[in-house]
Amino acid sequence: MKRVKSIVYVLAFAIFLATVSSVCLAKPETKYSEAERRELARFPKLSTETVASGEFSKDFESYTTDQFPARDFLRSIKAAFARIALNKADNNGLFYIEGHISKIDSEENDAMMEHAKTRFDFLYESYLKENPVYFSIVPDKNMFLAEENGYPSLDYRGFIKRMTGKIPYMEYIDITDLLSLDDYYRTDTHWKQEAIRDIAARLASAMGKDTTGEIFTENVLDHPFLGVYAGQYAGKVAPDTIKYLTSERLDRAIVTYYDTGVAKKGSLYNMEKATGKDPYEMFLSGTMPLVTLKDSQPENDNHLILFRDSFGSSIAPLFLGAYSKITVIDTRYVQSEFLKNMVDFKGADVLFLYSTSLLNNSLAIR
Amino acid sequence: MLFSSITFLYYFLPLVLICYFILPAKFKNACLLFFSLFFYAWGEPLCVFLMLATIIWNYVFGILIERAGKKCAKKIYLTVSVSGTLSGLLYFKYAGFFAENFAYLAGMDAPVLNIALPIGISFYTFQILSYSVDVYRGEVPAQKNPITLATYIALFPQLIAGPIVRYKDVAEQLRSRTHSFEKAEEGIRRFICGLAKKIILANTLGELCEGFFASSDLSVGYFWLFAISYMLQIYFDFSGYSDMAIGLGKIFGFDFLENFRYPFIAKSISEFWRRWHISLGSWFRDYVYIPMGGNRVGKVRLLFNLFVVWFLTGFWHGAEWNFVIWGLFFFVFLLLEKLFLTDFLKKHKIIGHIYTLFFVAVSFVIFSGTGAKEALLRVGGLFGAGAIPAISSAFLYALRNYGTTLILAILCATPAPKLLYARILKGRLSAAISILEIPALLAVLVIITAFLADGSFNPFLYFRF
Repeated sequence: MKRVKSIVYVLAFAIFLATVSSVCLAKPETKYSEAERRELARFPKLSTETVASGEFSKDFESYTTDQFPARDFLRSIKAAFARIALNKADNNGLFYIEGHISKIDSEENDAMMEHAKTRFDFLYESYLKENPVYFSIVPDKNMFLAEENGYPSLDYRGFIKRMTGKIPYMEYIDITDLLSLDDYYRTDTHWKQEAIRDIAARLASAMGKDTTGEIFTENVLDHPFLGVYAGQYAGKVAPDTIKYLTSERLDRAIVTYYDTGVAKKGSLYNMEKATGKDPYEMFLSGTMPLVTLKDSQPENDNHLILFRDSFGSSIAPLFLGAYSKITVIDTRYVQSEFLKNMVDFKGADVLFLYSTSLLNNSLAIR
Repeated sequence: MLFSSITFLYYFLPLVLICYFILPAKFKNACLLFFSLFFYAWGEPLCVFLMLATIIWNYVFGILIERAGKKCAKKIYLTVSVSGTLSGLLYFKYAGFFAENFAYLAGMDAPVLNIALPIGISFYTFQILSYSVDVYRGEVPAQKNPITLATYIALFPQLIAGPIVRYKDVAEQLRSRTHSFEKAEEGIRRFICGLAKKIILANTLGELCEGFFASSDLSVGYFWLFAISYMLQIYFDFSGYSDMAIGLGKIFGFDFLENFRYPFIAKSISEFWRRWHISLGSWFRDYVYIPMGGNRVGKVRLLFNLFVVWFLTGFWHGAEWNFVIWGLFFFVFLLLEKLFLTDFLKKHKIIGHIYTLFFVAVSFVIFSGTGAKEALLRVGGLFGAGAIPAISSAFLYALRNYGTTLILAILCATPAPKLLYARILKGRLSAAISILEIPALLAVLVIITAFLADGSFNPFLYFRF
């Protein structure tokens, strides 16, 4: 009996190994992980150089991990095991509470804040000395979620105070009192456009303008939105719904995208991207170095220059009631030094609108 | 290549197993050698030549030592052989350390040597030294077949993280060994258990430790939580690797000696070291301590012998002062136990247990630092140095997030689960449990694979050794 058990034991192990290995070898390469929103490692370049340097083996390890069969399913098993058997409160730094997924980001990084300050100083010194310059910070949704649920959290108010203290030449506009957890998507880091009309009004008002007269219509995107955290968390979560705002003025806006240095007309909401890998990219087509929004029937000659991160994509259209021209700049994708020839700063209001997440990890700001 | 990787589990291992079991007995060692060299070259393509040179060097000197007629000639050959072998270790592992300290003493800028440490060099150097010394002592004949000797040194199951297998323990198995389903079953079970210890327990506790290193919200509680977690992480990481090595060895027909025997149930530091990294402790005992006279010397000489052994034990673990301090920390306690505490600890077992765990935890905080300064600062943190609070929110969160893993790890660090399972197997449900063990272990393998596919935290702690 013992020998039979041993034979079964060995056979079970051998069959398991052989099956998994065969599937690993037979499985065609996958280029992109929809869940994690990233390119997956491909079979590495095989050459004497890459082998001798150890680069090949290192890349091969990434390749075998990324290309492992049923990887998303296995990631969900790992997440469930960590949650149920190990009673882990987070999985890879992501946690699920009150229907929201969020990411732990509790360590304030002064070096990153200093980097952001240096880049803002450069912009101010180079282009903005004659302009009224405003600054506002979008707190991460953890501000309303982490600490009260026992998760490590940044001291958001302290963070904002320290960051604004570094750039005294900008007038700070506080929006934290207008925000709540419901203003953010459950599976994503971003805020909802339909929930930030009051934020746009507060910001415009602080800059001496008014957006309250604009009447918007809420439109529901007929495509489920699983935000950036959903795939990373690897647990099962219900998707969000994206709503986007339209109005007569927004419908007639002329939107020009300056990607790769070439001007290209487009729309405020990119419906192709709305059904793509990251539906939030429907707002001003996602990552764009420079976008201009113009009212085709302008009622004023106000110009707003908005330095922003991705949070700015959904709020920028809401300023069209107060500004007939809005220039939206993301210096993560364009070198600040190049703006001299691309943007006319004269007479414009300037708003820096950045999230705490970006300011605390600001290396991408150029 | 790491055992705890997709590449090893699902690419390398199946290929080795197929080739090994297809080939006739006379080619099995050559097969193991080929794959072992590939295994080593995978991560260290150029360092494999250093290992091959060390093997050839000791192969030649092994034969010379054996053939030398006079004792003094044998001694000369042994000295040359050992010096040559140790010079590789000294250069690759310790040159930077000596250069840095020399420069410090001379008031010069420390030179940047950029010498990459070949993985596992400390392990295979000690293995091959034991071979040469045992040949010199006449305990084993010199190995005439270079493939057999190379297989012994390069054998991938224990190449990079031990246990330190002595030639005399496996010489017969290298010549002829038996393979059986029963032995393979035992090996598979041991291998999967080792993997689970490494991936599920050690890596999860490793996350806690990484969180601690990155945190600015430190507190006395957090320091102690770190100390306990780090001690357990090292244990499960290291003993997990030893289990995997022993398990793989069994699949290939070898019987390696145990390397860990529940060290945290020890009631004294001396007992702890009889249970922790046994192969290293016994290596130092047999090749350093006893040749120096061991216990059969005067008190001053005993003190000196112990000092040398524990200095070397610490230094073996890494070319940093904190490892030296770590070794000497044990020297102090072992000396105290030898001189004063043995009887007391035998009578007061609970106190002995608490005392052992307390100082072992402190020792691993010393071990965790990169350099003496950091290590001592961390030890200070255990006792509130730096006016840190008793608890912090980061500590409370870490306790909440890793509490269950910690309890599980503490339980698994005792013989209780093994004894419980053995008891169940003797009960009425033994047949059913015995059969269920197979799907249960495969389920564990699936979970381990899930952790690996997730690309979770998977450090390699032995790069310094």
